[in-house]
Amino acid sequence: MNTSVDWVQLIIVIVIFGAVTVMGFMASRWRSAGHLDNLDEWGLGGRNFGTFVTWFLLGGDLYTAYTFIAVPAAMYATGAISGFFAVPYTIVAYPIVFIFMARLWSVSHRNGYVTPADFVSGRYGSKALSLAVAVTGILALMPYIALQLVGMQAVFETMGLGGNNTLAKDLPLLIAFAVLAAYTYSSGLRAPAMIAFVKDFLIYVVILVAIFYLPHVLGGWDSIFGAAKEKMAKPNPVTGKPTGSFIPGNAGYVSYWTLALGSAMALFMYPHSVTAVLSTKTRNVVRRNAAILPAYSLLLGLLALLGFMAIKANVNVKGLDGLANPQLAIPRLFDQEFPSWFAGIAFAAIAVGALVPAAIMSIAAANLFTRNIYRAFIKPSASPAEEAKVSKLASLLVKVGALVFVLAMDKTIALNLQLLGGIWILQTFPAIVVGLYTRWFHRYALLTGWAVAMVFGTVSAYNVVNPATKKHFGGSLANIPFTNTPAYIALTAFVLNVLVVIVLTVLFRALKVPDGQDTTHPTDYLADRGDPGVKDLPEILDDGGAATAKS
Amino acid sequence: MSRLSAVRPAYWISGVLLVVAVVVPLLVPTYAKADPHLWGFPFFYWYQLMWVFLSAILVSISYRLLRAEERRRRAAQGLGDPEAADAADAPVKEGDQ
Repeated sequence: MNTSVDWVQLIIVIVIFGAVTVMGFMASRWRSAGHLDNLDEWGLGGRNFGTFVTWFLLGGDLYTAYTFIAVPAAMYATGAISGFFAVPYTIVAYPIVFIFMARLWSVSHRNGYVTPADFVSGRYGSKALSLAVAVTGILALMPYIALQLVGMQAVFETMGLGGNNTLAKDLPLLIAFAVLAAYTYSSGLRAPAMIAFVKDFLIYVVILVAIFYLPHVLGGWDSIFGAAKEKMAKPNPVTGKPTGSFIPGNAGYVSYWTLALGSAMALFMYPHSVTAVLSTKTRNVVRRNAAILPAYSLLLGLLALLGFMAIKANVNVKGLDGLANPQLAIPRLFDQEFPSWFAGIAFAAIAVGALVPAAIMSIAAANLFTRNIYRAFIKPSASPAEEAKVSKLASLLVKVGALVFVLAMDKTIALNLQLLGGIWILQTFPAIVVGLYTRWFHRYALLTGWAVAMVFGTVSAYNVVNPATKKHFGGSLANIPFTNTPAYIALTAFVLNVLVVIVLTVLFRALKVPDGQDTTHPTDYLADRGDPGVKDLPEILDDGGAATAKS
Repeated sequence: MSRLSAVRPAYWISGVLLVVAVVVPLLVPTYAKADPHLWGFPFFYWYQLMWVFLSAILVSISYRLLRAEERRRRAAQGLGDPEAADAADAPVKEGDQ
């Protein structure tokens, strides 16, 4: 339908993008005392962010292309099990975070840790384990960034950019990539943090209009759910099974709760979430945020239902390449139901909403590389300017990695990209979270458990073939071994991981395999701001090694 | 949450509340049904959205309990109040410890 460029939308998007970017750069100059050539300035904003900014940053982790494009697209395509699990996921994530994050805050601030890999290194005295955690973090962020690129791509494509020849086909994706790369390379973390305010404001406006105006135009919630139920019950032409699930049946129960629990446990293992939490002022700020953040989940749930609205509105999801692409469901819904100018604002909100988290994630991955791989293994004596340069380069490579994921993977359900990242990142949970409570697990047992689970998870995910496109990595659900019950691979691999760790710990302890040195003290886990030895984030960075903040 | 303090009521009450907030929303068979509807929403959908509020309430109660408990513990150990302290003006004097 939409083969030509919609100029009204395009101009509004460009203007908002431009305004937001200029604001970000101005804010970064206004707040900055040092130089962006310095790793700490570029990567961590140079200073502690206040509680309020942190709340926005953490909320921003949820309001990404994941929420706006991927979850509704999954709802549109196959219904509740593949999409609506995101609601219980975000509901149970915060109580879980509440339980362990305060301890991570305390031990990190007492010992000068900035990344999960730092903590593992200090707790277990194992460089190999720390490297495993760092590599997993970087790897898992790539598909997550890829998801953001897919989201931006969907918006640009809906506005009419691109075409059906080979070169123009990938144009929307290349634009998305170029914008992201230019943006992070020059600004660092501070600009995304400032822009988060504008972004969240835009997003709130769009969400509120969408969830009140659209049901009204489309004939009410009753008929929206009715249309969804009808679509989900229809047999899929390829498999002959129903298209999706409107309300999970017996067979889907395990899939539903394992997807929710696995994603929830994985959420705060991601390096960018950890950085956001550690930049809070006191150990209880993260707990206070855990109590207010569920407000985000409500809007997430309503956004998910946009997928059902797209079913009711009968939107055309055919991409410019002629293939059906569910990721277009929401942009096309807005395009079809809103006046051009408001669709333009909505598209700008989605695009900025994908850009900011993608920037934060690629910076987090780059910092992880510089701190826990480059400085720890390759060149311990690197100068601050050198580290900032390495970090910028690493951030670019991570984005190229994300691009590879977009191009190589099956995109029919973009949500899979995030779920794939979850399979990997969850395998660092035993070392990090269990490590916060007990030192009983043996370092080599943890390393072996991690390796076994990574291989198992990756192979299982590879073996999921999408019946329509015949591509591997076609989904994140697989039967639990020796059963016929499908479950989220991340959680199955996690259970395997823990079993291996327990068995090997008993074995290694019996054989008296040397245990690493624990440089943390039990009281570290309860320390708070103002206690002896507890430092604010900038001080940690000052003392943290070669990179010394000039400001 | 050391072994000694685990017996304090603030810890086990909030522990129970948090476990409820994690486990109950995952009991899919208890809510995988269409009726009763609410404002056009099938039960499956509105029940989960309602848990957003329930979870926020449970986590808030836990937060208040634990904060009060932590203040007591810190006061007993002679440590300052981190909420009141500001980075620049309240460095802890080493002599106090």
